[in-house]
Amino acid sequence: MNSSVLYIARRFGFYLIAAFAALTLNFIIPRLMPGDPASIIFARFKGKLKPEAIDAMRESFGLTNDPIFFQYISYLKSILKGDLGTSIAYFPAPVSEIIGGGLVWTIFLAGTSMIIAFLIGTTLGIIIAWNRTGKLDTILPPTLAFFGAFPYFWLAMVFLYLFGFSLNWFPIGRAYGNEISPGYNLPFFISTLYHAFLPALTLVFVSLGGWMLSMRNTMISTLGSDYITFAHAKGISSRSIMLRYAARNAILPNLTGFGMALGFMLSGALLTEMIFSYPGQGFLLLQAVQTQDYPLMQGIFMTITLAVLGANWLVDIAILFFDPRTRK
Amino acid sequence: MISNKNVYQKSILARWISGIIGNQKAFIGSCIILFFGVSAIFIPPFIQSPTDFLSTPLLPPSFEYFFGTNGQGQDVFAQTICGARQTLFVGFSAGILVVIIGALIGGIAGYYGGRIDDILSLLINVFLVMPGLPLMVILASWLPPSPGTLLGVLVLTGWAWNARVIRSQMMTFKNRDFVSAAIVSGESNIRIIIIEIMPRMLSLLASSFIGASIYSIGAQVGLEFLGLGDVSTVTWGTNLYWASNNLALLTESWWTFVPTGFCIALISFALTLINFGIDEVSNPRLISEKLWRNKVPENLITHGITPVSNSNE
Amino acid sequence: MNKPVIKIENLTVDYITEENPIKAVHDVTFEIFSGEIFGLVGESGSGKSTVVQAMMRILPPPALISNGKVIINDKDILTSSDSDIVGFRWKQISIVMQSALNALNPVLSVREQIQDVLKTHKNLIGIDADKRAKELLSLVEIDHDRLDSFPHQLSGGMKQRIVIAIALAIMPPIIIMDEPTTALDVIVEREIIAKVIDLRKKLGLTILFITHDLNLLLEFADRLAIMKNGKIVELDTVENIYAGGKHHYTKKLIGSIPSASGKRQKGLLSKPNSLNLSKSPILEVRNLKKVFQSPGFFNKNKLVAVNDISFKVHKGEIVGIVGESGSGKSTVAKLVTRLIRPSEGFIYLNGENKKVAESRDVPLQYRKDVQMVFQDPFGSLNSIHTVYHHLSRPLFRHRLKNKEEMLSYIIDLLEKVGLTPGEKFAEKFPHEMSGGERQRVAIARALSLEPKIVVADEPTSMLDVSIRMEVLEIFAKMRIKSNLTVLFITHDLASARYLADRIIVLKDGSIIEENDSEKLIQNPKENYTKQLIRAASPGWLSELTN
Repeated sequence: MNSSVLYIARRFGFYLIAAFAALTLNFIIPRLMPGDPASIIFARFKGKLKPEAIDAMRESFGLTNDPIFFQYISYLKSILKGDLGTSIAYFPAPVSEIIGGGLVWTIFLAGTSMIIAFLIGTTLGIIIAWNRTGKLDTILPPTLAFFGAFPYFWLAMVFLYLFGFSLNWFPIGRAYGNEISPGYNLPFFISTLYHAFLPALTLVFVSLGGWMLSMRNTMISTLGSDYITFAHAKGISSRSIMLRYAARNAILPNLTGFGMALGFMLSGALLTEMIFSYPGQGFLLLQAVQTQDYPLMQGIFMTITLAVLGANWLVDIAILFFDPRTRK
Repeated sequence: MISNKNVYQKSILARWISGIIGNQKAFIGSCIILFFGVSAIFIPPFIQSPTDFLSTPLLPPSFEYFFGTNGQGQDVFAQTICGARQTLFVGFSAGILVVIIGALIGGIAGYYGGRIDDILSLLINVFLVMPGLPLMVILASWLPPSPGTLLGVLVLTGWAWNARVIRSQMMTFKNRDFVSAAIVSGESNIRIIIIEIMPRMLSLLASSFIGASIYSIGAQVGLEFLGLGDVSTVTWGTNLYWASNNLALLTESWWTFVPTGFCIALISFALTLINFGIDEVSNPRLISEKLWRNKVPENLITHGITPVSNSNE
Repeated sequence: MNKPVIKIENLTVDYITEENPIKAVHDVTFEIFSGEIFGLVGESGSGKSTVVQAMMRILPPPALISNGKVIINDKDILTSSDSDIVGFRWKQISIVMQSALNALNPVLSVREQIQDVLKTHKNLIGIDADKRAKELLSLVEIDHDRLDSFPHQLSGGMKQRIVIAIALAIMPPIIIMDEPTTALDVIVEREIIAKVIDLRKKLGLTILFITHDLNLLLEFADRLAIMKNGKIVELDTVENIYAGGKHHYTKKLIGSIPSASGKRQKGLLSKPNSLNLSKSPILEVRNLKKVFQSPGFFNKNKLVAVNDISFKVHKGEIVGIVGESGSGKSTVAKLVTRLIRPSEGFIYLNGENKKVAESRDVPLQYRKDVQMVFQDPFGSLNSIHTVYHHLSRPLFRHRLKNKEEMLSYIIDLLEKVGLTPGEKFAEKFPHEMSGGERQRVAIARALSLEPKIVVADEPTSMLDVSIRMEVLEIFAKMRIKSNLTVLFITHDLASARYLADRIIVLKDGSIIEENDSEKLIQNPKENYTKQLIRAASPGWLSELTN
């Protein structure tokens, strides 16, 4: 019991270090660029922005005349206060305010579709690894690998084109209907699902194959291990061997892989949001890129990093639950 | 003396390489890659320049323009063929660099262990959990748009995964007796890593390279799609950027984005096929099991029950 | 003892491979009678495990039973339906598998794994199942709180006992024991076997016992079958086989058993009286200590593997270090060859003072003077390189031979260790040789630099019994021929007695006892040494069961 707590705490410590590294990276990148960032900003935005907006941007980056170390300290202080600077595109709105609205939608869309893809993919992987004589094992892997080869956003474009523009089955933007007021009510709930369906379908479609294949492979190698042969000798039912002996063990490396792939898959989700004009972080990121809204970009990087780290920590807790070896 | 040819024919390494060449999946994959590579290099001089304004924008596919024209009246077919050049070049270069850096960092961490490993593993894990796209976006938006920028950004965000995989395999090799034997006989660490261990990791390095190339092509196209590449060059990513900028969906001009996307998918799929092939060849258990399945009638195969061949009754 | 409970006729098993199928078991026929202990002996690859797994039809792909008949308790196993077979398993016949250490599911608790069987076959659940599980643990002498442990929390011996408990769970009339003790230390091994023999007396079980260790079976089996290359070469009562058997292979096996008690056997290549050992030691180890630290910044787990040991080895001497797993003997080997750095202490080579704890770089001269032979001949040669590569690299590295002299020197070396013709072997890859041949190559590699001392870490424990003595003899011959010094590290007291002049007994990282081999064997001082000697001598079983 004690060692479980220690494990969780150790992982938390690691994520703190990772978060700190991301913060530092965020601070360093503008300063590492060729030339001095203050003059880059001035050159790029002179004439396009009001002088006070340029000043606000400098301030967002903590670009003062102080030595770099003091700039860093004051940067960390303001981050800890939740101050991510001022947006340029939405001047003078603070970045934290703009991001706050989008984060929920991203977590909802990306989170649910990743979990769904993982669950379906893993289940399929178990089934095809077990029934290797069946037709499924010859058809599914190459087919899903083919779909997995498409770039997320391109498949999103095709889906949106087919089911949104051509067939008119699904909405072509937003997270819920125009006429619906957000709140805990059924129409809002249904509208949310309706709007999320197509982007979620894209994400599930592309990432499904990867999970299925890796589960299939670990499952096949697990099936070759001695405890499976011993379980067969014990005369235990096939079902129990498949689930409690093989799948229970084979899923562990995939859970670790799931945590590791979160950041990568989230990138896909962000691109998909852009295509569907889904009001999450991805959509904001697109706007930030188009308007060169650096403070917003960096704010998005920070929040997404924190979300990914948090999700990874949850995966660690899940692994603790599934794998007795982490409990010592 | 021992003739080189004789040695080559018998080694496990040689057997592995000829296995890959003979593998059906790897063969099909290689053919697709080769097809794209050859057409990207040799066809462009014989077709329309992809940047010329030719005719009315957004013409649907016809005999004159196989894939129609785009929003700027340029030939989509020419753009698809020529776009492969930079995209594949940057993608595969990033793939190679990622494997080299991954092998270097992961290899050093795994081989030396101890405090060096503690520090490098921390670095690897931090880069692994950081979400790639937002980081790439920040980097690419600060840097001037160029293929070099793309390459740098792709390598910086992609190396950690390979480093992790290579590190863990290096750790298992490091503890094998043949490595200890080489150390005891006085071999230098560099020589042990390069001559004794790296050839054993060939299938991992090959599949890492392929995985890294798939990642690099996908991420590169994504970045360019966001407008973070040099939008004046013709690449698969900028093709999609312009398609989206010219409102391909609203104008229902599907031909401006479908061919490019399909090519990207085909390349990734071909690479995945090669990886399947490497997997099959590198795993002797899978090979003999496959032969066994071919030999044993399907109705005799049940989990956990050894089949009895009919011939004895 | 009149009715056969197991009847096997002309059993043949194929393994499908890329080339022609391999006949792992070929035309095997035998019967086992009720209440008997039947032994099946063979070296690795002889097909003995395949026979029993084919009997239960649990051989995984790519195996295929291509001929024969298996009748167990009047049931024809090879023609039964799938569901019949699943129902038959464990009720009629259970098995303790080889590699029992990997036979437990890592994610299920001991309780769940025992109760799986109880539920499936006896429909026992809840309190009843709990009660039975506890009874079983008592039977194999394991604490009841271990029910909630997971396999990774158990030692090898405990896992082994738990697998035996599972095999006994519903008391089938027949139990197969396939190398049930290979992964265990001698003392534990003997205790477990005594336990099994005891249970068999109480419960009247029929036991089919499979092992590579003929010596073990001579202690307790009723009848024996000896297998080689998939065939039974001899089948007889233990008495007849002990007397020497008929087949020459049986004779060879019987002859290759060293013993830790009684008189030394003839034909040993031990130290000739004419050989005088020098006074000053060639290797001296003083106050050596090694503490292993778990990796990671926050980890504080420490393990003291070697704790303050000192010993000397003289030129031309063969010193045996004997200990069970966990005694730190392999750590000593790695410390002396400087594969790892000691936490404290000194290693003097040739009288030169080196406080090695402080120096990270090992001088090239040390790498020439101290060589090592590893336990696993499959792991210590790199599968992608030829024998020529393995032998020439050290010579090039130390600039001892140039290209022109190399080949003839290597051929000569190979023939010295018994690999003739040397030209042929120089070209071979490791996978083209047998385990014994590979180990000879490894020995040749260690000898190629003409080192001052060779550290041999369990050089024969992975080899087949019949060739172990031949491999040990290479060391003995080289000592006489070129005054080679050897540090011989082993778990097997009997083979240490065979080869070494002096024996050091190691336990939990410390030296327990040290003496000339014969004196130590005849007149052990420490209790632990006595236990070791008893476990490695004939007649140990009757001592343990009485």
